[in-house]
Amino acid sequence: MTRASNFAFGLTLVLYLAAMLAAFHHLAFRREGSARAATRLATAGAAVHLSSIVMRGLAAGRVPWGNMYEYATAVGFLVVAGYLVLERRSGVRTAGGFVLGLVVLSMAAATMLYVPPGPLVPALNSYWIRIHVLAAMTGSSLFILGTVFTVLYLVQDRRARRLTETPAMATVGAGLPADHAEGADEPVASEEVAPGRLPAPGVLDRLAYRTIAFGFPVWTFAVIAGAIWAEQAWGRYWGWDPKEVWSFVTWVVFASYLHARATVGWRGRRAAVIALVGFVALVFNLVVVNLVVSGLHSYAGV
Amino acid sequence: MADPMASFAAVWRALRSMRTALVLLLVVAVASIAGSLVPQVVNSPGAVASLYRDQPVLAQVYQATGLFDVYGSWWFTLAYVLLLVSLASCLGPRTRALVRALRRPPQPARELETLRHFAEGTVTGSPEQAVDRARRVLRRRRYRLGRPNGEAAVAAEKGASREVGSLLFHGSVFLVVVGVLLGKGFGFTGQATLIEGETFTEAPASYDQPPSRGRFFTEDMHRGFQVRIRAFEVSYRESGLPREFVTSVDVLEEGRVVRREAIRVNHPLEHQGVKLFQQGYGWAPEVRVRAQGRTVWDGPVVFLAGEDQDRRRPWRGVIKLPSLRPQVGLELRLFPDPVAALAGGPMLEARDPFLVFTAYRGDLKLTRAQNVFDLDRTGLKRFEEGGIGAGQTATLPGGVEVTFTGLREYTQLRVARDPGKGLVLAGALLLLAGLLPALYGSRRKVWLRALPDPAGARIQVGGLALQRRAAFEEEFARLARDLAGVGTLPGPS
Repeated sequence: MTRASNFAFGLTLVLYLAAMLAAFHHLAFRREGSARAATRLATAGAAVHLSSIVMRGLAAGRVPWGNMYEYATAVGFLVVAGYLVLERRSGVRTAGGFVLGLVVLSMAAATMLYVPPGPLVPALNSYWIRIHVLAAMTGSSLFILGTVFTVLYLVQDRRARRLTETPAMATVGAGLPADHAEGADEPVASEEVAPGRLPAPGVLDRLAYRTIAFGFPVWTFAVIAGAIWAEQAWGRYWGWDPKEVWSFVTWVVFASYLHARATVGWRGRRAAVIALVGFVALVFNLVVVNLVVSGLHSYAGV
Repeated sequence: MADPMASFAAVWRALRSMRTALVLLLVVAVASIAGSLVPQVVNSPGAVASLYRDQPVLAQVYQATGLFDVYGSWWFTLAYVLLLVSLASCLGPRTRALVRALRRPPQPARELETLRHFAEGTVTGSPEQAVDRARRVLRRRRYRLGRPNGEAAVAAEKGASREVGSLLFHGSVFLVVVGVLLGKGFGFTGQATLIEGETFTEAPASYDQPPSRGRFFTEDMHRGFQVRIRAFEVSYRESGLPREFVTSVDVLEEGRVVRREAIRVNHPLEHQGVKLFQQGYGWAPEVRVRAQGRTVWDGPVVFLAGEDQDRRRPWRGVIKLPSLRPQVGLELRLFPDPVAALAGGPMLEARDPFLVFTAYRGDLKLTRAQNVFDLDRTGLKRFEEGGIGAGQTATLPGGVEVTFTGLREYTQLRVARDPGKGLVLAGALLLLAGLLPALYGSRRKVWLRALPDPAGARIQVGGLALQRRAAFEEEFARLARDLAGVGTLPGPS
């Protein structure tokens, strides 16, 4: 079972890589065929990935997210699955290569932390590991997806600004309905026109917002569930353990992002930068807190 | 110097602005990071102590700036108190505005054609009938309707849940804070190390150190019930990883057993609002020491695990015998499973346990504050070393007899009471409940006008969504179909 799971893991990487190449091919040459191929390859990859995760769980006889390697690969799966759902719903297909590239990189990095499947230490042996960790992974994957869209938004926003600075293009973006200023999920970029091959900044901004606004309550729930579990396992619901500190920081920063989008003068690029800060906190919590800082969660690390 | 009231008003205005709240949120985030990078007294006192030893200057700086206790420092407190004030200052007016808006019926609109969403159609029946039908349709869709004003028109709106949710979310933060403060003020936490067979009384003297109590916690809030440790067991997997730690206990009230329970990791015991958690465990060898014809020590000694976590090193314990002249101190090393240790493996279970001792005599210096697990060797001289198996006796020079009579286990329980945690949980759940409509709700307004028409009534429908406009597009199309009949005309886009 372990070997089959590891084989499926390798196959997943190959499929994701192929999907990434197809997606970039689509981005570069606008071929419909390669976009379809990218989606199919990524879907196949996600299916194989899921089978790898399930087999790993069977081999270990527990949930397949009991250490850092498993956590990272499961988050990778959720990111790809989330992206595929979003692609279907929004019709935006040009961001796939970036999402897959990020997932392939992080999965490859996770193999350095590979450990054979094994049982959990008593502290982790609770049904809360299903609830708390699953919510944390789902929230993280949504924040990661939101970050990819945010980065692409910043790129496109910059391009759009350059275009509007040239006099010939000065009219682009003028004449937007005045009511655009209201409502946090409305286009805040001055552009609904795509500069280049990636989607328009407004489209990317909305996608980023929706993904993060979906991730935020999930993350909130993960933190609450973690506190309930901590109360059961350690006798206090909050103790400023490094993991707790950084998940709180992540929560506060993404809360700031949501607020920034409703604050005059912070919309658009400034809000996007806050989202990137949130992503840094998220990654710091996963990598540095697990591997470098010692705390109560550190045994869950590797 | 400006007028103090004016500057107060200026500060108040600044606190009420969203921008200030945003900055304060980020300040709280940055401030809390500090506590994860600098060791905290509450979480890792050992790391703080070693920093004092290795880098005294840096430690002084940390101490002076409150970095060893970030979450209790004045600047962290200031940051979150300001945030709470800022939150409260905008919650008040927003709540009033919401109440006012909910009391005020939706207002009629003049020009429907200029609205972002507009549709027109013709239905049979009089305009009045059409309006009645529209009111029913809208009410079924949970729109709030304006008062009939004699005209054949309807004004409706929906989606106040967005603001209600947002207020609930932000208000719940206060509930959480109150719960935290309540727990801090009226709760306590302590730790008790208990050898199998011992009985613990939930009273101050029973704890290893005085329990850390809240400011408003008084002595009489200890419950006084008793917990008898029937047995402690730890089981291991073949790999040497622990599988489970179980403390079997009887709970006694006034000497009578009222409950028989097992305390496991992740399965605390709760009794009278006090929770007992499995926290640690270890070996407690029973030792008898006789000297000068009398027994000077007879009982179990709590041993600490070796510095390593994998149980390969011996356990450490100390016996202090101040009643002997000269005073005697024994440093003890326990090998629970010497054969496993020789093979280089971990010592998990007791198999032919072996006790190695180093005996000192002189002045134990007990008049000074001491760690029970260490000997202060400055006034002591080593006079004998040796080892004994279970049941064996070693006779030291001077006629001191040390007998290893048996081996027991001890369990370490964390005992805590937090009367605020229910409120914290309620606050957290309300916060989550408010978050969903606050993020996903949208305010929508719909107006309808029915005009006389030879075929029946001509219906004009206009709509506006303040959020989630793309989603409203579809909703409006369906609404227009229901309100204006099948013959809906697409409005000007």
